[in-house]
This record gives sequence, C-alpha cells and structure tokens, in this order.
Amino acid sequence: MTNHQTSRRRFLAGLGAAGTAALLSGCVTSGSSGKSASGGAVTLQSNLSAPQAKAAMEDLVAAYVKKGTGEVSLNTVAAETFRTQLPTYLTSANPPDVYTWYPGSVADAYARKDLLLDLGEVWESPELAGYSKALNSLCTATSGKKVFVPTTSYWWGMFYRKSHFAKWGVSEPKSWDDFLDLCDKLKSKGISPIGLGAGGNTAWVASAWFDYLNIRINGADYHRGLLAGEHRFDDPEVRKVFDRWQEVLPYFDPDGTAVAFQDASTSMLNGRSGMMLIGTFFADAAPKDALDDIDFFRFPVIDPKVPLAEEAPTDGYFAGARTGRHDEVIDLMRYLGTAEAQEIYIKGSSGTVLPCHPDAGDAGTPLVVKGRAHIEEAAEITQFFNRDSSDALQPTADNALTRFIAEPKSIGSILTTWQRDAEKIWNA
Amino acid sequence: MATVHTPSAPRRRRLATAGFHLGAGTLAVLWLLPIALVLVTSVRSFDDIAAHGLGSRPHSFTLGNFAQAWVDGGQQRALINSLLVTVPTVLVTLALAAMAAFALSRYELPFRRSLLLLMLGGNLLPPQILLIPVSKLSELMGVYDTLPALIGVQIGFGVGFYVFVLHGFMRAIPPEIQQAAVVDGAGPWQIFWRIILPLTRPALAALSALSFTWIFNDLLWAITVLRSDTKMPITAALIGLQGQYVSMWNVIAAGSVIAAAPTVAVFLRFQRHFVAGLNLGAVK
Repeated sequence: MTNHQTSRRRFLAGLGAAGTAALLSGCVTSGSSGKSASGGAVTLQSNLSAPQAKAAMEDLVAAYVKKGTGEVSLNTVAAETFRTQLPTYLTSANPPDVYTWYPGSVADAYARKDLLLDLGEVWESPELAGYSKALNSLCTATSGKKVFVPTTSYWWGMFYRKSHFAKWGVSEPKSWDDFLDLCDKLKSKGISPIGLGAGGNTAWVASAWFDYLNIRINGADYHRGLLAGEHRFDDPEVRKVFDRWQEVLPYFDPDGTAVAFQDASTSMLNGRSGMMLIGTFFADAAPKDALDDIDFFRFPVIDPKVPLAEEAPTDGYFAGARTGRHDEVIDLMRYLGTAEAQEIYIKGSSGTVLPCHPDAGDAGTPLVVKGRAHIEEAAEITQFFNRDSSDALQPTADNALTRFIAEPKSIGSILTTWQRDAEKIWNA
Repeated sequence: MATVHTPSAPRRRRLATAGFHLGAGTLAVLWLLPIALVLVTSVRSFDDIAAHGLGSRPHSFTLGNFAQAWVDGGQQRALINSLLVTVPTVLVTLALAAMAAFALSRYELPFRRSLLLLMLGGNLLPPQILLIPVSKLSELMGVYDTLPALIGVQIGFGVGFYVFVLHGFMRAIPPEIQQAAVVDGAGPWQIFWRIILPLTRPALAALSALSFTWIFNDLLWAITVLRSDTKMPITAALIGLQGQYVSMWNVIAAGSVIAAAPTVAVFLRFQRHFVAGLNLGAVK
C-alpha cells in the first residue's frame, strides 16, 4: 500500500511541475509578444499568396527596407484564410498593422466600426496629391476621414483572341446591336459566342454581367444606390437589366454555370467559346505564348445618354486603428502611395494591373496601354458587386443570377427572392 | 428457376468470383482515379494545363512543380511546423487519454459515467461554434500565434474521444489479470505501465495513426490560433498556393502530394494495427 501512495504522490508532483512549466512558458511568450506591440517592424498582412504576387510583395518590402526609414515584416496568408480572418485580425489585442484590402464600401464598413487608422497625414503628402478625384472619394470613409491608400487597379472587358476573331472574320462591335450580330455570326459557325465560367466556386463572375448591364442602362449612380439598399431589386429599372440580358442569354455557353472561370478561359483561349466578360486577372491563367494574342473591347454601350462607366476594381492598403506603431505605419503608407513603389510591384507581378499613381509607369504591353486609355475615358468607375456592397450581399447575387441563367422565364419571382434576401443583409 | 437449371457448382463459383473481381476492380479504379489525376497533374507544366485544360491528355512532363511548392510555396517550413505540432500532440494526447481511461475503466471512481458522457458530449459539439472563444482565449493567455497554442487546442479537442475509445478497450481486459498483479504487490502505476498499457498496444497504435492523420490534416484550428505565415502548418501552406483568382493546379497538385506523403507513410507503417483496431470496442 505504501508503494501505491508514494507513486501517486510522485505522479501528482510530476503533473504539478509540468503545469508550472507550461504556465511559466505562457508568461514568457506573453511578455515577449506584449513588448513587440510598439516600435519594431511594421507587420504587413498580405493576401497575395500566389507565388508571383508574393514574390512581387517581397521585392516591394525589400525596396522599402533598403530606404532605411523603417522595418517591415511581410506576412502572407492564403486569400481565402485572409478574407475569413480579417475581422479577427482587426479586433485582436495585438493586431497586424497594415493590410492588403479593398477601398470603397468594404473599407467603409470597417471604418464605421472605428477599426481603421486615419490616414489623413498620408494623403497630405505631395506624392498623393496627383491622385484622381474618383480615388480620393473612394478612399474617404463616411466620417470624412481618409482610411485607404490605393495602389493598383485592374479592369474588366470583353476579352477575346485576336487570331480567332481574324480566323472567324469578325471584328470588335461598337454598339449593342453590333454585339448581337457578332454573337449571331459566331453561333452560326458552331462556336459558343460568350463564355461565362460561373460554375465551381466562381459563381461571382456572373455578377460582372449584372454590374455592366446595370451601369449601361441605369447608370453608375443608380447601381451604387441599388447595392447600398436605396433602391429595390424588384424595381422596374432592375427588370430592364434582365430584359436586355435575355436578349444575349441564348448566346451564352451552355457550360456557363457548370465550369469555373479558369476552365472557361481555357475554352475561350482554345476557341471553343468566342469571348468572355472578365477581369484582367484571367491573363494569369493563359499560357505564356497566348498573352500577346489577347485583346479586349469595351462592354457595348446600350444607352448613349448614360455617362460611360467601367468596372475597375482598386486594390491597396489600410491600417488597423489599434496599431502601436502609428508613425511607422504612416511612413510605410506614404511609400506605398509613391510611383516608385507601385512600379516595383507591377514589375514583379504578372503586370496586368494599372498603377493608381498618375505618374507611375505600367507594364507597357499593348494590352495594358489600351486598358489604361479604356479606364481614363470612363466618366465613372465602379468596383465590382461585392466591393460596392459587401461580401455578405454577394451570395444573394450568385443565387439570383445562377437561377436566372437556368430559368430566365421566372425572373419575377427571382427578383422578389433577391430583394427579400438582400433586405436581411442590409438590416442585419 | 435456380433449382431447374443449376449450373455445376464450381462453374457458379467461378462466375461469382469473376463478378466479384470485376465489380471490386471497377470500384478500385474509380476510387484511384482522382488520386491518379492529382499525380498526373503534379508533373504537368502550367502552360500545358492552361492551353489544353485540366482534363486533357498530358503534353508535358516536369518535376519543377515540386520544387516550386517546396521552395516558393514555403512547404518546407510548413512541413516542419506540421510535424512540430503533430508529433508532440499525438504523444501527449495518447499519454493523457491512456491514463484517464485506465482510471475510469479499472477503478470504481465516483461520477465516472458522467465524466465519460461529458467527454462524449464534448466530441459531439461542432468545433465551429468554439472558433471565436478559442481565438480570444488564446489571445488572453498570450499564446495567440504560437505553436504551443495550437498543440494545446489539439490536445484539448482530441483527448475526449481517445479516452472514450481506450476506456472501451481497457474495460474488456479480464479483471483477473489485474487481481493477480495486486496479489503480487503491484501498485496502480505498475499495473498501468506493466500490464494494462502493453495489452492496449493495438488500440494505441491504431489511435496514434488516426490522430496523426487528423491533426496533420487539420486546417481549421491552425488558421484560428495562428497568424504568421512562418508558423502555419502544411494545410495552410497548401491553400496558400491558390491565388486570389487564378490557381496553378500543377503546383497545387504537387503540393498536395508532398502534404499527403507523411500521413501515407504513417498509415503504411501502422496499417496492420489500423485494420485490427477498426473493431475497437465493437466486442465488449
């Protein structure tokens, strides 16, 4: 029996020792992490996890560190992880300082919760003085504070392969009727005129069609108002959007809602479909030898009285309000806003993005030069469905549009459902 | 009908065997097809996939994808992190669970039934509802974004299930063995270490293979308590290979092969125990 007692006691003592050790190590780690909250390197949380974009970010950070005004530690996490964890990052006790994200209503939603740092000082610097008025208002929160530094944007358009269009004997359409003719011609040759790619986990691609038809028919102002909940999805204006869409729906690739956009772009590049309304990021999915053969045209104008608007989502950075390194963050943000920084990033990345700084050079390829002119001609710029509203509203659009493509006849009930789902999100 | 035209028994048996092999063979091929697709994709070049599509016949062969996933994708660091988390977690969880199961199954402890039910109940709780509490708690304790935090969480969530399984196994060991040991003067520690634990080895081996797979393949807890890319395990590094818009399937496939290798190795090593352990607690 004595044997039993001692062994138990010894065991308990061992447990206690182990527990104390764990506690002590806990104190040590908390002590060290508490210290790093102010001073030291600025942490830059990045969602650019694709190998090439990640390397471009590393170049950018190295260039900043070389300047000698501050230290940065770059922390790259997967885009999907970043998206779901961003609210946690911003509200955590020891948050990262600077984040890659989107301006406009997405940033404003965080600004209204007082989670973003006021970047007014950054915008006062001469480097950002030349930024367009549209970018200025895009980066201003409802409170009037500047909360965002934009760095690059990309654009959406009808992309096609020049060699295929030449082979089929067709050319870029100028008006909506031209566009329908083009679709008709392609269809008669046995080609699916319009590729979509709203299958798999990229249902959001279909929203580009909704956005574009809406800004062509009802204008960008109405579009933003609609996404903000000032108008209703079952209004007659929205109905007109779908009436137009029904005119082109027969020309959509029947696989449109079955394959993801990356497979749809392969189809387009192989000539199984004629063209695709897509953002320039799709070029990353093209083989290198096809890049020079890719061209695009403007989404056809439907009503010339509506001011010309284009979708050109802007990317950039904001900073968490709880940062302990205010001055260092401002210095980094100032650098990110310079032409030099944007050129370094563009050089390292796949080069299909446009810089926000008016004096910064782009990649210089014919496609990018055309894209820059394409955006400069536009009177209004919209971001994209989820960026002009919220990530929460995007699934309601995905559901409604996927259903519309499958059963265009029941558009009435689809729009009623959409409005009901959207109200739940607006009122949440 | 069968009684009228009965073919000779050997012939019938041969037909049945052929049917079985045909059916099972088809199933096995269907089962292996996705794995084969991943393996083939992992040695194709990106331009090949972009030009011909993922489902096409391969036109290229390269091993560069593995290097890209290993170096650019940060899988080397991530694999070390994964092992740093998984190995201690498996050892500590099984040690704790074996001790708890021993006490609960071999001694008349008060409330042991409620304790077991509590552990089972904890397992039925979906982990998703605990994500925010766990993240906030780890922050409060100052261990957020450290590997020990992840180890702690994994131990906490695993131990209940292992106790439950091991309890069922240890209960089936005849009490006479223990009584004989007591007569020979063994204390509980000796009984546990020298008698019960060796008898539980098949169960422990099966559970260690299972828990290794589970913890190694976990992503949810990792991204809940970790933030730095240098601390992320292999699963997080794997989704990091996906771009914001465009995914390089060849590199992702190569990364998946790398990420699957350790679990496959563990499974092969413990295969015998694993199959034997599947009927754990089935016969009580």
